[in-house]
Amino acid sequence: MIQIKINGENILVEDGTPLIKAAEAAGFKVPSLCYNDELGHFTSCMLCLVKDGENGRLFPSCSVPATEGMSIITDDQEIREARLTGLELLLSEHVGDCQAPCQVTCPAHMDIPQMNRLIAAGKFKEALRVVKKDIALPSVLGRICPAPCEGACHRGTVDSSVSICLLKRFVGDENDLHPFDALPLNGKKVAIIGAGPAGLAAAFYIQLNGYQTVLYDKELAPGGLLRTNIDPEVLPVAVLDRDISAILSTGVLFIGDTAIDKSLFQQISTQFDAVVIATGAIVDELRDWGFLTHAKGIDAERNSYETSMKGVFAIGNTLRFSRMSVRPIGQGKEVAWSVKQYLSGEEPRGEPRLFNSRFGRLFQDEISEYLKESVLSGKVISNDIISKGYTQEEAMLEAKRCLHCDCRDIENCKLRDLSGKYNANQRRYAGNVRKLMTKHFAHSIVYEPLKCIKCGICVRLTSKYQEKYGFSYIGRGFDVQIGVPFNETLEAGLAETAEKVAQACPTGALTVKD
Amino acid sequence: MIDLSKIDRTIAEKGSTKTALIPILQAIQREYNYLPEDALRRVSETTDINPAEIIGVASFYSQFRLAPVGEHIVRVCVGTACHVKGAGLVYDSLRRAFNLKEGQNTDQERKYTIEKVSCLGCCTLAPVVQIDQVTYGHVTSDKAADIIKDFESIKDKKGKNLFRKGDGTEIQGEIRIGLGSCCVASGSSDIKDAVEQTINQTGLHVKLKSVGCVGMCHQVPLVEIVPTKGEPTLYSKVKPEDIQQIVTSHFQPVGRFSRLKNKFWNAIENIQTDQQWKGIERYELNIREKQVSSFLGKQFPIATEHRGMINPLDIEEYKQHGGFLALKKVFSEFTPEQVIDKIKISGIRGRGGAGFPTGIKWELVARQESAIKYLICNGDEGDPGAFMDRMLLESYPYRVIEGMIIAAYAVNSSEGYFYIRAEYPLAVTRIREALAICRNNNLIGNNILGSGFNFNVQIYEGAGAFVCGEETALIQSIEGNRGFPHLRPPFPAVKGVFGLPTLVNNTETFAQISFIMRDTVDQFTRIGTEKSKGTKVFALAGKVARGGLIEVPMGMTIRQIVEEIGGGIANGRQFKAVQIGGPSGGCIPATLQDTPIDYESLTSLGAMMGSGGLIVLDDTDCMVDIARFFLSFTQDESCGKCTFCRVGTKRMLDIMDNLTSGKGQPGDLEKLETLAEWTGKGSLCGLGRTAPNPILSTLKYFREEYEAHLQGICPTGKCPELIKYSINDDCIGCTLCVQRCPVEAIPFLPHQKHVINTDLCIKCDACRQVCPVDAVVVK
Repeated sequence: MIQIKINGENILVEDGTPLIKAAEAAGFKVPSLCYNDELGHFTSCMLCLVKDGENGRLFPSCSVPATEGMSIITDDQEIREARLTGLELLLSEHVGDCQAPCQVTCPAHMDIPQMNRLIAAGKFKEALRVVKKDIALPSVLGRICPAPCEGACHRGTVDSSVSICLLKRFVGDENDLHPFDALPLNGKKVAIIGAGPAGLAAAFYIQLNGYQTVLYDKELAPGGLLRTNIDPEVLPVAVLDRDISAILSTGVLFIGDTAIDKSLFQQISTQFDAVVIATGAIVDELRDWGFLTHAKGIDAERNSYETSMKGVFAIGNTLRFSRMSVRPIGQGKEVAWSVKQYLSGEEPRGEPRLFNSRFGRLFQDEISEYLKESVLSGKVISNDIISKGYTQEEAMLEAKRCLHCDCRDIENCKLRDLSGKYNANQRRYAGNVRKLMTKHFAHSIVYEPLKCIKCGICVRLTSKYQEKYGFSYIGRGFDVQIGVPFNETLEAGLAETAEKVAQACPTGALTVKD
Repeated sequence: MIDLSKIDRTIAEKGSTKTALIPILQAIQREYNYLPEDALRRVSETTDINPAEIIGVASFYSQFRLAPVGEHIVRVCVGTACHVKGAGLVYDSLRRAFNLKEGQNTDQERKYTIEKVSCLGCCTLAPVVQIDQVTYGHVTSDKAADIIKDFESIKDKKGKNLFRKGDGTEIQGEIRIGLGSCCVASGSSDIKDAVEQTINQTGLHVKLKSVGCVGMCHQVPLVEIVPTKGEPTLYSKVKPEDIQQIVTSHFQPVGRFSRLKNKFWNAIENIQTDQQWKGIERYELNIREKQVSSFLGKQFPIATEHRGMINPLDIEEYKQHGGFLALKKVFSEFTPEQVIDKIKISGIRGRGGAGFPTGIKWELVARQESAIKYLICNGDEGDPGAFMDRMLLESYPYRVIEGMIIAAYAVNSSEGYFYIRAEYPLAVTRIREALAICRNNNLIGNNILGSGFNFNVQIYEGAGAFVCGEETALIQSIEGNRGFPHLRPPFPAVKGVFGLPTLVNNTETFAQISFIMRDTVDQFTRIGTEKSKGTKVFALAGKVARGGLIEVPMGMTIRQIVEEIGGGIANGRQFKAVQIGGPSGGCIPATLQDTPIDYESLTSLGAMMGSGGLIVLDDTDCMVDIARFFLSFTQDESCGKCTFCRVGTKRMLDIMDNLTSGKGQPGDLEKLETLAEWTGKGSLCGLGRTAPNPILSTLKYFREEYEAHLQGICPTGKCPELIKYSINDDCIGCTLCVQRCPVEAIPFLPHQKHVINTDLCIKCDACRQVCPVDAVVVK
């Protein structure tokens, strides 16, 4: 054992341990994309840069073994800037979407591609679970949402966008009640003032987290503007009631016919552990209650929705008027995160926002690549659809038109993870020319070369496991690609190691198909 | 179809392990002009080398082609000197001449394939185009058609070799012909043929002698007549048809019959060619004349000692001039430790660019305990404007070899490599011959000169990758891998070729060793500055009146080099800056021309010694364009291993492309600076770490030019997308421009003032070059 110094702490390590490992063992995690425990270092990504404590020079910690008396710093302003720059350079040539553009555009960030895939597979109950993770009123929104998601849909570049809204309506209409079990009650109570779309959604998700939720409204029945301002031809009352009853069935207490004034509010805020204001646009009154406000609504923190009063949150039209009900419904889901954080003694931050790589519009020459995972048929449309919605067969057919734009590695991508952590901006070093995306399928995996960061892990693995062809670096410099020698197929290249390389790939370039 | 038995024979000859891979691929390409897939598959089937390794290597090195090419290869040099003299326009004009569409490099008839090469090493003939073995110098963009026509007319007539009579008992004198690459490129082999023919015909008793590079590359081809009695005369820019007159004006044939025969041949020759002598003076250049003596006089030859006097391959002559004395002295008087001490005292630092003290490097290798240690002479000169290594290898092979043997003795290495760029075929041939001669003279091999010391040397031809000048990448290449560098430590001195201790020194470093060891060390330490001892060889090119290979004492100022050696700026233009150190170096403005050249002063100005390219720029050169040029070179040569170099250089280049094409955005310069900072700090090896230098130094000294480009203005009128061509009132209506214009942008208006249709104009510059009254204006 030898002694080294990491961030001022004396640490004993085995002589020759790579510094990145020594730091990790001492509790200082150093990021890296190209280091692989099985293969060791390669010195490609350069994100593991650390600082020499003696001369202040940066060097890659993966490739330097610990030697007696060495001193390094693993994190400071300059090191963070180095890593951020490295990440932003990698992102500048990383062509691919993390979440699909529809999901990024959806104000509630619903996992639309996943819903589509489940519908296409006939798994409607599972599809509802996916929808309800983000949208508390699917049948309602399936009828009234202006569907910004469809505007962003890549399928629109091919022929016409997937009918996401109708599919969501189908999923909502097809199923009964809610698909989740609420956590057992933990004794804490949350009041929600206003039972419009925002309040209903907030009540649903807060209740699911194990807090007893009480939903107040001045009207007799919950629903707010959904009940009063929408043509029943478009949104039949029965549909609204059905979505609402699913919410209330989680254990939410609804107290109607109760207009809240200043004194009642003060009483509620002492009785409850947290309060969510979802009253709609009543700025003057809220100012009177003691909130800081601006011309269009109440002041609240952008991500957590916390108002100027601790433990009181505000969502929906209370913040600013919106014509899209999906926005307040999404906020209802997000505020549940803040409430939970607040009630667990944490700083409320709202729903964690993950980094999303985006590349913009599909090029014409990329359409065929994306259609590899889809069907050629056009939008499913018939006279009955608007009044009755999709039949199962129609829904499955329509859902199959989805292009699978979302990345398969979304939960497990080191590049995304670090980009979020370092708050990287993908556009900072955007290049002049974007290369053309391709998708390749073989065995159980998918290969998307433009998501590759050239870390060489797959090349080294196929060599180690003695693939007949394997992967090779082809070309050099910025235009280097990872490919199979002699133009052999991907099948031939990864005959033995397909899953292994897909699992080792630090990004979504190589992923397991299902 | 591929004859697989040929491939098998190649493998049998080169070996079947990975170290043989690059030589095998080179042999295949020599045979087919590219690497046919069937041949590569055969290699993978019959050797230990797997397909991924083969394709990885074949696609890494720029020498290798994976697709078939045309019958003839047209290589347009886009090295620095050629670039500043308009190589880009020449390249474009040749593409037009071959009717090539974008992305296409071979013409319809599959007759010609056009390629850019980073440097052919004939910087003084810039711009240079090579078609197969024929080199065209001083090419302009309006000459594309002429060149192709000329090549078509001579292509089948090449290759006749004349035999020279070998009597030589009564030598009347010597005729020396330069055989450096510049001289050869400019036609010295034709000159040699002509001299041989003249000697054969006239029966003159003169000795024909090939000599190495004199360094006066701006005057090539050179012929020196050295009579036994009297002063020598140096003729420059000689043409083959001049030879007979030159030779016979100096030497008289011996017998009466010969004299008559000579007259007869003269008469026949003149009748046949109808070419009368047009005054020999115009080619004559007496060595004692002021101009030339200042070119050579200010210099101090150590690496290039006895330049122009000795035949590169004549070992006896090398010995007569003190060759191998140092080696003998080392063997008889010094222990290896004493050699290292002397090298340390001499203060010599690596001439490859970074300036690491040579003695300390040797000591580190010497200290390693290992049965086998390697020694590498790094001749992978890839800088697009430097040709020192090439010239040293071609002209002074024995001096380099002597330095290597001394170093090997000092560090106890028994195995040596010459790593030489594939683009230097002449250097490879010379070294191969020199090594064979050394072996026959017991200078290479076992028990050298009876000392008991063994040292073997082999040649390894690089395959075209600038990054392989970096020692860890070079070693990867020798091992048969892609030239990916790795982090140091471990240094090659500890863990080099095949994991064993390895000494890597630059060619020029080795060339200076014998001088240091031959006499006393202070002979060497007297020269140079306090921290930079001895001399440095530079390739002086660009806008200077006299370019060439120069060797000057460290500490000489930029002004002395440009004015006294280079003869100032050509064509009466204004001196603007020098670019020193190539792609890793920087631009030093004329205002700092009194800076003495040594390692520290250059680094402090944002340049660096680099490999020794020294390009002089005048007031017509656009500094943004120059910076873009070097960056595009390093970006192209980046190996792609580490993020900062692979993507950082590309993103900097994107910004530079935008600036030079009028698409710059506010904030671009700041972004450029940030990228430059991080590419420099975050890259793995020297290539990436120094790649931002050309940008940073020009931003530092010429920021106003960047600002102007942001506004869409190129102050020197060099960036094609920011300029317009027009014709002023001086136009005499001669229609020459109309005839030259490749896109019919100038309507045919004889005797009237011409007009350029700027919508059609492709800014090829042909009209400006052809205009007899300079009426074409670029703004």
